[in-house]
Amino acid sequence: MGKGKRNSGILISSSDDEEEDKDLPLKNNFRSAPTRKNPKRAKRVSISTSSSQHSASNGFDEELLLNDLLREKVQFVLRIKSNILPGQRAYVNSVKQEVKRFCEEFDQGFTQFKVTSGFGSNKDLWVQKYKPSLAELAVHKKKVEEVKMWFEERLRNSRDGSCSNVIIISGQAGVGKSATIHAIACHLGAELCEWNTPTPTIWQEHLHNSNSGICYMSKLEEFESFVERIRKYGLVSSSLTRESPKSIILLIDDLPVVNGKVSYGRLQRCLHLLLQSVRLPTAILINDYGKSESTDHNSRYSEELQLSLQNAGACKVTFNPITVNSIRRILSKICRLEELEVSDEQIDIIAKSSGGDIRHAITSLQYFSLKPNPMQSLPVLKRLSTYPEGKGNESSHLDNKYSLPYGKDATLSLFHALGKFLHNKRETVNLVSSDRDAMLLKEKFVRCPLKMENPELILSQAHGQARLIADFLHENVLDFVKEEAIEDAWIVATYLGDTDLLLGSLSGALCRNFEAENVIQSTAASIAARGVLFGNTSPVSSRWHAIRRPKLWEAEQSMWCNKYGMVTERRDVHSNINLSKLSVLATEFKPALKWLGHRVDEDVEGEQVRNEDDGMSLDEEDDEIEEW
Amino acid sequence: MEQDCPHLLFYGPSGSGKKTLIMALLRQMFGASADKVKVENKNWKVDAGTRTIDIELTTLSSTHHVELNPSDAGFQDRYVVQEIIKEMAKNRPIDTKGKKGFKVLVLNEVDKLSREAQHSLRRTMEKYSASCRLILCCNSSSKVTEAVRSRCLNMRINAPTEGEIVNVLEFIGKKEGLQLPSGFSGRIAQQSNRSLRRAILSFETCRVQQYPFTSNQAISPMDWEEYVSEIASSIFKEQSPKRLFEVRGKLYELLINCIPPEIILKRLLYELLKKLDSELKHEISHWAAYYEHRLRLGQKAIFHLEAFVAKFMSIYKGFLIETFG
Amino acid sequence: MAPVLQSSQPWVEKYRPRQVKDVAHQDEVVRVLTNTLETTNCPHMLFYGPPGTGKTTTALAIAHQLFGPELYKSRVLELNASDDRGINVVRTKIKNFAAVAVGSARHGGYPCPPYKIIILDEADSMTEDAQACLMPCGAPWRHTQKLQDSSSFVITSAGIIGMGMSLITGPIIEPLASRCAKFRFKPLTEEIMSSRILYISKEEGLNLDSEALSTLSAISQGDLRRAITYLQSAARLFGSSISSKDLISVSGVIPGDVVQALFSACRNGNFDMADKEVKNVIAEGYPVSQMLSQLYDVIVESDDISDEQKARICKKFAEADKCLVDGADEYLQLLDVASNIMRAISNMPQECSFGS
Repeated sequence: MGKGKRNSGILISSSDDEEEDKDLPLKNNFRSAPTRKNPKRAKRVSISTSSSQHSASNGFDEELLLNDLLREKVQFVLRIKSNILPGQRAYVNSVKQEVKRFCEEFDQGFTQFKVTSGFGSNKDLWVQKYKPSLAELAVHKKKVEEVKMWFEERLRNSRDGSCSNVIIISGQAGVGKSATIHAIACHLGAELCEWNTPTPTIWQEHLHNSNSGICYMSKLEEFESFVERIRKYGLVSSSLTRESPKSIILLIDDLPVVNGKVSYGRLQRCLHLLLQSVRLPTAILINDYGKSESTDHNSRYSEELQLSLQNAGACKVTFNPITVNSIRRILSKICRLEELEVSDEQIDIIAKSSGGDIRHAITSLQYFSLKPNPMQSLPVLKRLSTYPEGKGNESSHLDNKYSLPYGKDATLSLFHALGKFLHNKRETVNLVSSDRDAMLLKEKFVRCPLKMENPELILSQAHGQARLIADFLHENVLDFVKEEAIEDAWIVATYLGDTDLLLGSLSGALCRNFEAENVIQSTAASIAARGVLFGNTSPVSSRWHAIRRPKLWEAEQSMWCNKYGMVTERRDVHSNINLSKLSVLATEFKPALKWLGHRVDEDVEGEQVRNEDDGMSLDEEDDEIEEW
Repeated sequence: MEQDCPHLLFYGPSGSGKKTLIMALLRQMFGASADKVKVENKNWKVDAGTRTIDIELTTLSSTHHVELNPSDAGFQDRYVVQEIIKEMAKNRPIDTKGKKGFKVLVLNEVDKLSREAQHSLRRTMEKYSASCRLILCCNSSSKVTEAVRSRCLNMRINAPTEGEIVNVLEFIGKKEGLQLPSGFSGRIAQQSNRSLRRAILSFETCRVQQYPFTSNQAISPMDWEEYVSEIASSIFKEQSPKRLFEVRGKLYELLINCIPPEIILKRLLYELLKKLDSELKHEISHWAAYYEHRLRLGQKAIFHLEAFVAKFMSIYKGFLIETFG
Repeated sequence: MAPVLQSSQPWVEKYRPRQVKDVAHQDEVVRVLTNTLETTNCPHMLFYGPPGTGKTTTALAIAHQLFGPELYKSRVLELNASDDRGINVVRTKIKNFAAVAVGSARHGGYPCPPYKIIILDEADSMTEDAQACLMPCGAPWRHTQKLQDSSSFVITSAGIIGMGMSLITGPIIEPLASRCAKFRFKPLTEEIMSSRILYISKEEGLNLDSEALSTLSAISQGDLRRAITYLQSAARLFGSSISSKDLISVSGVIPGDVVQALFSACRNGNFDMADKEVKNVIAEGYPVSQMLSQLYDVIVESDDISDEQKARICKKFAEADKCLVDGADEYLQLLDVASNIMRAISNMPQECSFGS
């Protein structure tokens, strides 16, 4: 399977919550700290990235991987450091501490890894070691069959080139997209040719390179040049077919990460080019990140991209997350092969917490087996299993570092949290007011105690941004308010409005103060949650409600779209008059133009005439000006 | 007047003729060349310390003046004012004999500029006053800082009265050769809310809808206004979370069509006030003001619009129960 | 600042006093400062007071009297706080400026003491981040200590009238207070204003009747700069003879009858009438904040409203004013105010009887 790509599963999952800022340049040199243990490593780092273009070699060096992991860590620290304003030292330090602790922990794990790896002669990661064959794939049989059929067909009539040669496979991380392709290629006896997203260049390297005259290439540029080469020279087909008469499959594993509209446009163009020109059966793997959770543009772009490719004739297959049962089966198989004694219960927990990501599950298992004494962490796991969801993440309050790596940042738990707030389950008897005489509340403020943990705790487990939570609550809460309780609806709406005000106070502040921002974020989230809990005095009896995706997002999108359209329109239609305000355009010109129909061209002239008329009607004021 | 032109600040309600006046003024100052304008979409790269910001703005320019809406740049308006205007003001027009040595910069919607932007505006005014005159245009002068106001000659442009609007409409009717039944233009003027632009637009709409005019011809309101009045009547019919949800959908519809939320709120208030007892009127106008204020401070207008509707429903339901049991 | 055509030079600049002793009405300040000038022993100074009372004038006059026109450029740094933004700019400017030490040779009849002067004008209108830097530990304070021997600060702060005064004047004063000599500038009295205005109109050849004169001092509220600006605007628009009506139209003050019309509509207690008046005010383009302050005067002065009612109304005024500053809609705010006045006058309960 893949190389340095996402083998860092362990790391990423635990640092998710701090990873807030990605795109600031890295300035500070913090690199020496974590890498100092092995001076050789630092050197290797730069080697590995400068050769990043075609790291298609399957021969995989374990230390290289670790370097990659370390670098990721380092980079993360750098990212944080580069953002600091003087006032935020304290915060950053605490984060740094955390990261450092993690580094140490990791190094510990690493050394143990070396020791324990003695029993299995192979030093590979298990993910690598237990790469599945076609029959073993945990992916749904039908899907595999579909993909296989496609490839067979393509390979059979590869010469005629009548239909498109591209298949898109999308799915969340670790559902076995690349494994499937590998297995199929193996099965069909085809040569696999891969393009991987090259490992990123870190800032120091960039500096170093630019000093020594190697110019920096963005990932996108590299990809573009790759596609260009394929197009122009048919590089792959010509160079490889000579040596081997085997058929070839081109695999584009994970597209380059791009930001912003412009670069997406470039990527799209590039892919279309590829689509039109490529002669080899090509598989493009696209990672779907939790769709429901992201309002950000990236996911939207990615959806658009897939759609446009499909329209251009590409075939698309979506892989679902792998079922818990399949994961469990595979994990126990690995345990058997590794002669590990892991209880079914533990496997079960790992499988469940992986969120359908099999790579993550296997990595977790390996990490788990590295512990000096696996049994030590058992109590934690047992406690964990009392939670119905069995999410490792939700146990963060247990403050046990062993439980951390199992959880995957799950969007599901956000829905659990939302469900809790919306259903608003309460005790039927009011226990609190009877024994606490000091706190006498007015009748209308009294509520029965909640049948759930502290809302803030749930929020912190759900990892939701305040904005997200507010949007979801706003969309869904009215379903849970009783028909006659319009008063409640108002209270809830007002609290959500308060949340919006708090969040609104954040925007526009260009100099960012992380601490304040965090406080406001969490306060806002808590107000939203508690407002919903408090306001809805008599929630509807719990029947099943699907939680809808906020319509607000679509509305906003189309609003921006229209606004943009209006701006362009203003340019075209009203070219001879002065710039009108958008609001005037929307409220007055547009509806009127609808009536006036298609007479746009005449209209422009008509309006000009009328403008002069206006001038005449306002003669008094004109005179006023003339006088001075 | 020619030599001694101060910075100008025009303020007054929408549709009162500020732009027209400004254009007329420019025409008088520069002659017909002020009319030869071209529309451009300009891109600026502004260096803001650590990063560069790209700003795209539509400008309208002739040889003598440049017009733009700095508030289109959102919260980056500060940079627009600081850098772009500075740059423009520096490029003085070429002085051929006897021509005026300054350029006029027309800035729209200055009341929507952030405080920082207004401060830098005032600095720009002082710094480049020799090469450049500013004409500012806004709806309400109380949102323009004192510092800017005190450096401009303030011109209040009041909305035309209904009588004046009638005169204009009749003038247009004569020019276009239209037969106007008596009282027709008066009714248009009445509906126009004292906005001349509005009046002329609906006049033209009527012309397209039905001509020759009849004296009792309906003057159709803007489509969004009809929509708001539908919302209002549906609120009156039922007050429940379900209805609130439906109303939300309709509000989205309006927002999608770029109707500014505060205008929706005002129109809704207008529709609601039409059918209420005076006691409730006080209450509702208070809440309208309250939620409009919050709407300005917040980000998502729908939250506050909906809260207003919910509040109204709650009050109105209470009122109904009290009155009719 | 770029050179300005002579004819369009603002009168505010044209008639700015050049000597400290000419500064009107600030007797104590002038006395102390004249002493200072004689000994050339200049402490750090902080000028504060309402706008248009001569703070900037005084600061400039001191600088001029100490250094004279020739050395002025090299010895005095004028920093408009609204000047080029980032505190970094301010900091580097100050540092570079103060870094060059100067001697104390007398020059052309001016004392020329061995320090420089930095004038931070309008410190209240600095951007928020600049202020944040400036206030607790920022530039001037540190530099004040470090560069004490070579430079001296004059900070003028337009005080009370500016927005957010608690935010602004307070913190500026605090860290500097112990190191600065504070000078408070009093608002000008009507006589002083009138005499100054009369002087200018005589110089400019204007005809000003006594009614116009009193109107002018009333609408400018003790702010001489504003009065002069109004005068100049009026002169531009209406020529050499200026009536009080002209002044009102120039100043943006709302004519009394408009205010009265709204007030009496409120008194009437009819919501729809008040609504109509409010709409009218908006359509006429009168700034609502101005309307509020004039309405406030009317209400506070009226005899037949009880104190409690007045309190209720004024509370609403304050709220509405804050909302307006936040950018709320003018019509809705004024309508709300009108409705509150109505309810207060007819003693309707504040709370609504329905709903909640």
